[in-house]
Amino acid sequence: MAFRIFFIIILFLLFPQVSLAQSNYVLPYPSGMPGSLSYKFHLLYENASRYWYFGDFGQFDYNLKMTDKYLVEAKTLFEYKQYLLGYKALKKSDFYFPNILFSLAKAKNNNKDISQKKIILKQAMLKHIETLERMEVDTPDTFNWQPEKALPTTLDIKTTIERAINIRKNVP
Amino acid sequence: MKKLIILLYSAFLFLFTIFSYLFVDPNLSYLKDFYSGFAFSNRLLTTISYTTAILIFFIFYGIFIYLGVKKKINLKEIFVLLSITAAILFFSYPAMLSYDIFNYIATSKVLFFYQENPYVVMPIEFVGDPLLAFTHAANKIALYGPFWILLTGMPYLLGFGNFIVTLFSFKLFIVIFYFLTVFLVWKLSKKIIPLILFALNPLVIIETLVSGHNDIVMIFLVLLSFFLLAKKKIFLGTIFFILSILIKYSTILLIPVFLYVVWRLIKNKGIDWEKVYFSSSLLMLVAFLLSPIREEIYPWYAIWFISFSFLVPNKKILLYTSIAFSFSLLLRYVPYMFTGTYMGQTPFMKEIISFIPPALVFLYYVIKKKI
Repeated sequence: MAFRIFFIIILFLLFPQVSLAQSNYVLPYPSGMPGSLSYKFHLLYENASRYWYFGDFGQFDYNLKMTDKYLVEAKTLFEYKQYLLGYKALKKSDFYFPNILFSLAKAKNNNKDISQKKIILKQAMLKHIETLERMEVDTPDTFNWQPEKALPTTLDIKTTIERAINIRKNVP
Repeated sequence: MKKLIILLYSAFLFLFTIFSYLFVDPNLSYLKDFYSGFAFSNRLLTTISYTTAILIFFIFYGIFIYLGVKKKINLKEIFVLLSITAAILFFSYPAMLSYDIFNYIATSKVLFFYQENPYVVMPIEFVGDPLLAFTHAANKIALYGPFWILLTGMPYLLGFGNFIVTLFSFKLFIVIFYFLTVFLVWKLSKKIIPLILFALNPLVIIETLVSGHNDIVMIFLVLLSFFLLAKKKIFLGTIFFILSILIKYSTILLIPVFLYVVWRLIKNKGIDWEKVYFSSSLLMLVAFLLSPIREEIYPWYAIWFISFSFLVPNKKILLYTSIAFSFSLLLRYVPYMFTGTYMGQTPFMKEIISFIPPALVFLYYVIKKKI
């Protein structure tokens, strides 16, 4: 009997369930997509609202919101095989990322307790990684973008996704 | 006789100020020496005492109105009375009936101390802030207009980082606006009765001088706007009207009245100010009645319409309904005070208490008019 239990435990340890990083953090709904007229207005609004979100925590919220938004945009565009636009959206999501860490560092310097914000960020990053890992499976490694009247470009999607994952994994 | 009344009134206000400290929040560490827990452990006695106090407030109110009607009180005596009222109630505990003053301070702190946008960042996000222990709406972004938040910079900065000083500088700030509003009521009406009706109204006194609600600031600015319009200063009148909206938004409903006045001024036509105040009172009554859409009807919202209805005391139905509302809304606190819960029968009881007396008064005058 003892041997059977030991054997079952060993089996569990040898073949653990494969689970992706999971987080309760909720990403936003996809907003308007590039190409529509409203999207341009939305970009203007986004730029203006940067000033509305003043302060360290305000900037943290703004940049996290932006990095979330563009990640969802990238995911949606990749699903619709809009690889160039998706690729750009993913890079934009990464672009906002350092600002989050910078605003947290600033808040800490200003003697604000950032423990809750760090938890939020950690949860967000787990959700991002979860999304990016799925994205990596569902998208081609590279894509040859052939614009009209211009030279073709190869989009290294896999490397970009991996870099995005690494950025998020390195959150302290 | 008058001196005796004033003396008794002062003694009553003094006792009411002491009574207010029975409600000190157990989490308010800054006032821990005043905490007794009495109001929370002796609910029946507290409720009876509070109800009796409201009745006494209204008896005095009736006496003052009587003295006014009989022309037995002059402007100087009213000013003395108001000064005594403000001086005593200034020291009352402001969160006796509502915790809004803590929200004002918390919102102000988000902007002026933490330098964050209070419309984006909630006070609760500042982990470890001592205000969080007793601020009841810390999990909400700013509920008030931007001009109010900017104005609160003054009392907040005058507090020099000390909570008690900040708390009382907020109270002082509201007291100043109370006197400014009273002054405008006098300037607009030029009569003693509207002045007494407004300035010595128990609801106005309790919600402004005790609880320190910002509604008085909004009303001051809109009355100032009307005052300036009466002096044909359209530009300044417009500025103050907009600033009034930017305190608590409710005066946005007065835009039709405001535009009507401006149009009459531009056309060089006379203005029937009684009609203006009457319409304003009705519109603010609508705003008051619509407030459950946002949250619920709070007693201090009555200041929105009673300020105007007391400017036209000859509109008897409006006048008596306003006084009935002042009375019933102050009793709206009773169900919670007694039960200690917002659940169960409390919400129903609150509505019954708030609306039955004014509805009866209203019906009485409608029937009386028809007969």
